[in-house]
Amino acid sequence: MANLATSKAGSDRNRTFLMILIPVLVLFVAFNTIPLLTGFFYSFTNSKGYGPFEIIGLQNYIDLFQDARVGNSYLFTFKLAVVSTILVNVLSLILAIGLSSKIKFKSALRGLYFVPRILGALVVGYVFTYFFTYIVPAVTGTDSILASADWAWIGIVVVLVWQACAQTTIIYITGLSSVPEDVYEAGALDGATGWDKFRYLTFPLIMPSITTNMVLVMKDMLMVFDQIVAMTGGGPANSTESISYLIYENGLNNSQFGFQCANAVLFFILIAVVSIAQTKFLNSKEEQL
Amino acid sequence: MASLSLEHVGKKYPNGYEGVKDFNLEIADKEFIIFVGPSGCGKSTTLRMIAGLEDITSGTLKIDGRVVNDVEPKDRDIAMVFQTYALYPHMTVYENMAFPLKLRKVDADTIDKAVREAARILDLEKLLDRKPSALSGGQRQRVAMGRAIVRAPKVYLMDEPLSNLDAKLRVQMRAEISKLHDRLGATIIYVTHDQTEAMTLGTRIVVMKDGVMQQVDTPTKLYNEPCNLFVAGFIGSPQMNFIDVKVSEKGAGVALTFGSNTITLTGPKAKALKDGGYVGKVVIMGIRPEDVVEEHEYAEGRTLSETFPANVTVYELLGSEAMIYADVDGGQISAHLSASSSVRTGSKINCSVDLAKIHLFDKQTELAIAH
Ligand SMILES: Nc1ncnc2c1ncn2[C@@H]1O[C@H](COP(=O)(O)OP(=O)(O)O)[C@@H](O)[C@H]1O
Ligand SMILES: [Mg+2]
Repeated sequence: MANLATSKAGSDRNRTFLMILIPVLVLFVAFNTIPLLTGFFYSFTNSKGYGPFEIIGLQNYIDLFQDARVGNSYLFTFKLAVVSTILVNVLSLILAIGLSSKIKFKSALRGLYFVPRILGALVVGYVFTYFFTYIVPAVTGTDSILASADWAWIGIVVVLVWQACAQTTIIYITGLSSVPEDVYEAGALDGATGWDKFRYLTFPLIMPSITTNMVLVMKDMLMVFDQIVAMTGGGPANSTESISYLIYENGLNNSQFGFQCANAVLFFILIAVVSIAQTKFLNSKEEQL
Repeated sequence: MASLSLEHVGKKYPNGYEGVKDFNLEIADKEFIIFVGPSGCGKSTTLRMIAGLEDITSGTLKIDGRVVNDVEPKDRDIAMVFQTYALYPHMTVYENMAFPLKLRKVDADTIDKAVREAARILDLEKLLDRKPSALSGGQRQRVAMGRAIVRAPKVYLMDEPLSNLDAKLRVQMRAEISKLHDRLGATIIYVTHDQTEAMTLGTRIVVMKDGVMQQVDTPTKLYNEPCNLFVAGFIGSPQMNFIDVKVSEKGAGVALTFGSNTITLTGPKAKALKDGGYVGKVVIMGIRPEDVVEEHEYAEGRTLSETFPANVTVYELLGSEAMIYADVDGGQISAHLSASSSVRTGSKINCSVDLAKIHLFDKQTELAIAH
């Protein structure tokens, strides 16, 4: 009897579990897995996104490595991602330390710093475009940096960093609050104050948050899209064309559907490799607590 | 080593709560001072003010004659052992102990020597490469000690360092700390809520209650001459018996009456009661369980009072001896018995008290009148 009862309870639980799981799984497969696999398939074709197409094997992949525009977009995206990731993490950590210290209006300030996170990237992009196009030139008397092929990327970095700091700071605040106060007190007596305190105590003890933030921010930055749409449209002279933007622009608007599918596959593999490598490397720096 | 002086030291927390009030204490070089008192009485606060982890809101703290109220913790030349040990979780045992020296830019050879010496004293040599997470409570405790002693500081502060250990280890570490004190010849300030720890370790004990220092004395003096009811009750286990007694004049001495029982007291204690104007009033008589004598017990060398009857309500055999708790007319009393006594729960017995060991307290002020 007892066995029957438990197995009945068990199957009830299984049913609930499946009822929750199946709809999500169906949606995920329909809108994620199937497009992914279709995209993978199209990467071996010369499809324009409409009309007939032929299977051309690895030709797209071979062409990818010879296409200057694709090459430039990779260079630009990685430069942007590396610079932004470092800036975001350094600034967020400084902010988080400030917001974790004994200051007035701490909760209010923490709330304020989270606002960029809840604004849409496009909105923020347009606001900053206005700022760079009209306000900054009016004050400095120079041309808008967004109009310069050499400097436009800096404008994008500013926006990316400003917006990404919100979430990153919150994760750092959480990390900082997990360091036990008594460790700092022992440190204060042992002589770990100021920079030594950060270097020998705070930094190693928040390594897990650093790993998380580095990987998350790097991934987000590599996939930069909305800000490009809002601010430069990839210009001037394709100088701010990110990989995602190129895939979208040329794949959907310029009849390179098959080719850009191959680009997307390559990009996907690259992001996976970067994330795994980062996690591996940073984990090795994390302390076994 | 060092001497310390606390003059009218007080701590008022930002929320207005006074954790410590008017604390005055001179600590000589090489003393082993204990702060003892119930939880929340301000022991840690006082210790943390000495360490510099808590601001002193009034009064002066001097170390070796120098006022250090506003000196950074690291510049006070003080080491502290925390109740939680507060080891650096990301460092090995070796690195934990080397850390304070490393920050002081001591050269590697000297650090190595100091760490290995401390490890040898504390029996940590085999654990030097481990992280704290891979250590038992007792081992962590020893690492925390080690981190303190490598620095050879002027003063050691210890905040309930043994309270997270099991009973057996606690007794063992207590002995170790005692040995360490002799060996280092260090000034130690040690916080505990455990009066046994206080009595066994301290050269002097500070008893605190509600942020106020009650009495500072050697263990023996505290035990034999507690200055008030609180100290009398706090020091000693099991607790001292307290019975309300009415004082009346009886010849050259006084009679202490509780219920239908009377004890006659002569000599200095009787004089103190008379001089203090307590005749006709009620005072509190304190008597420790070992000074309550059942009529069949060995009592040579004691000056016993008249006997009074008691009904035993609880009998506890402790091994080499036994404890009883008994009802008497006008109160309750606990007493030590020898293990061979035939007294048991329900026994009707006759007791007396050792007149030399009676303590008397004012019922209003709770201060001691005589010991
Ligand atoms: N930061 C604080 N703010 C307000 N009150 C505090 C603070 N820290 C401790 N207290 C209070 O001060 C009193 C003494 O605390 P403490 O020194 O830690 O006691 P203990 O003798 O148990 O070590 C306690 O009543 C405690 O609640
Ligand atoms: Mg405490």
